[in-house]
Amino acid sequence: MNNYNRHLQLPEGVDDFLPGPAAAKRSLENKLLGLFRSWGYQEVVTPTFEFTETFQAGQVAAKEELLFRFIDRKGRVLTLRPEMTAPIARLVATRLRKEKLPLRLCYVASVFRYEDPARGRRREFHQAGVELIGGTGVGADVEVVALAVEALLESGLKDFQVGLGQVAITKGVLADLGLEGEALAAVKEALVGKDWVGLNRLCEQYGLRGTARQRLELLFTLHGGRRELKEAIPILGVEAAREPLAHLEEVLAILERYGLGRYLFIDLGILRDFDYYTGLVFEGYVPGLGFPVLGGGRYDGLLAEFGYPCPATGFALGIERVLAARNGEMFIEEESRAYLVAGKDLAAALTKAKELRRSGARVELGCGISSLEEARREAAERGLNLVWVETV
Amino acid sequence: MAEILITIALPKGKLGGEAVELLARAGLPVEGVDTESRQLVFCFPEDFLRYIICRPTDVPTYVEYGAADLGIVGKDTLVESGADVFELADLGFGYCRFVLAVPRIKWEEAGRSLETLLSLSRRVATKFPRVAANFFAGLGQQVEIIKLHGNIELAPQVGLADLIVDIVSTGRTLKENDLVEVASIFPATARLIANRVSYRIRHKELHSLVERLRKASEGLG
Repeated sequence: MNNYNRHLQLPEGVDDFLPGPAAAKRSLENKLLGLFRSWGYQEVVTPTFEFTETFQAGQVAAKEELLFRFIDRKGRVLTLRPEMTAPIARLVATRLRKEKLPLRLCYVASVFRYEDPARGRRREFHQAGVELIGGTGVGADVEVVALAVEALLESGLKDFQVGLGQVAITKGVLADLGLEGEALAAVKEALVGKDWVGLNRLCEQYGLRGTARQRLELLFTLHGGRRELKEAIPILGVEAAREPLAHLEEVLAILERYGLGRYLFIDLGILRDFDYYTGLVFEGYVPGLGFPVLGGGRYDGLLAEFGYPCPATGFALGIERVLAARNGEMFIEEESRAYLVAGKDLAAALTKAKELRRSGARVELGCGISSLEEARREAAERGLNLVWVETV
Repeated sequence: MAEILITIALPKGKLGGEAVELLARAGLPVEGVDTESRQLVFCFPEDFLRYIICRPTDVPTYVEYGAADLGIVGKDTLVESGADVFELADLGFGYCRFVLAVPRIKWEEAGRSLETLLSLSRRVATKFPRVAANFFAGLGQQVEIIKLHGNIELAPQVGLADLIVDIVSTGRTLKENDLVEVASIFPATARLIANRVSYRIRHKELHSLVERLRKASEGLG
């Protein structure tokens, strides 16, 4: 990068939104906030930066190198928010602690991560999401997945799919293997990274045979609907996995009856941030886009980190990814009538413009236009209806 | 034209030839497919398949972004890329190993002790900086890694580096340049990789392809 004209450049991984894309982004955000509001979620806004400790309790804790950190003049370490769930957990555990549960909160926010821009990731991007705090059981999980599907529909996507996983099943099976320390961590990493070759090597190395191996393979490969899940129950049904298996099946059954079946599938390989999530997890996919557009799940351990043990679930949708998946296709906003108001008497022009705006029109003032002829030319060039205000 | 459902990224070069043989053995169309030709895209609409031919180091990138659903790539390249993709099968062919090598004379000077050698060495030349950095970090050694793009064996001869980390298959290149292998880092073979999203939402089509390729690769290598 040249240094001499740095004032004309942008750092890697951040973007301008020009008028068209900015309008598309704003319109998408408004639609999503409207949807969330209609489901009873209230918008909250948290600061762009906070103490690093707040985020260390959250999802990105293990990926410290992703944080944009800086030091304030008192020597304290601050961080640009890499995600919104930890700040909302902090907010709930402190200022909203007295509120009756469940709490339904939502947001649209920019987040910051020190990602590699050469790998399809941005360093500042935007998320819209919800957190359902204090909601437990099938009901809360069903609500959040249903809302996620409707958010993708509302976003104008058609071909998307949402995959459901359940990390508690994997956790139960792993705990039952009788592995410890490094061995357990290695098997977990192979499962999370979908590394079939590595998983097989580890099975050989640690003598995992018979049912144990069959279970691991099933965790890796199980994909489909309720039938596939039912067939797996006898094999996967270690004590610790039984309840989460039944839970996953029930969630899917309800969502199918609600009519979302065609958007949903089960894949036990979906583990997201395995250590952070505690139950049902899900991701939204769009064909042709190599990265999920949406992700979320149950994180019952997070609020305890803030001294307020409380179950919670939620999801975040990547605004830029949805815009990319729509391939530049914009929402067609109902175009209101557009005017150019010009005249020699500026006060009169302002008054006329105000009148027109009150009726819902979009009105531009003709700055520095001094003749009717000039105003006609200007209006024609810009595709506006001309209103010429005569001097009174 | 029928819609192409699945795109497979194949590497140019020796590995590409073997990949095409594997595809043929799995009963997939390969007529006219040549990883060395100037043609970079081969379509088989009746089978809903398309192959794209890329530089080996670019295969993980095409797959990570979802421009290709599946890819065939050496484990060496895959590890070095750090790409976030699913690794679905060890295809068995394209065997090679990552090794740490050093000019024979230095090895003798160090009394054939790895510990002594490392304490005397500062600079490591390699095409695989990520693999090299991981290896030395694992040993708790601080070294300076110099990224080169080929003919790594030249670096120690002219004093650019003390050690090299490279892949070897037969070891002939090392011998010809009077280098000795002093540590084996890990072995690598060709892998079948998949895009994270494709593998979930085109599971049925991809899974059957993966199984065919896995079967066809059994007993190889």
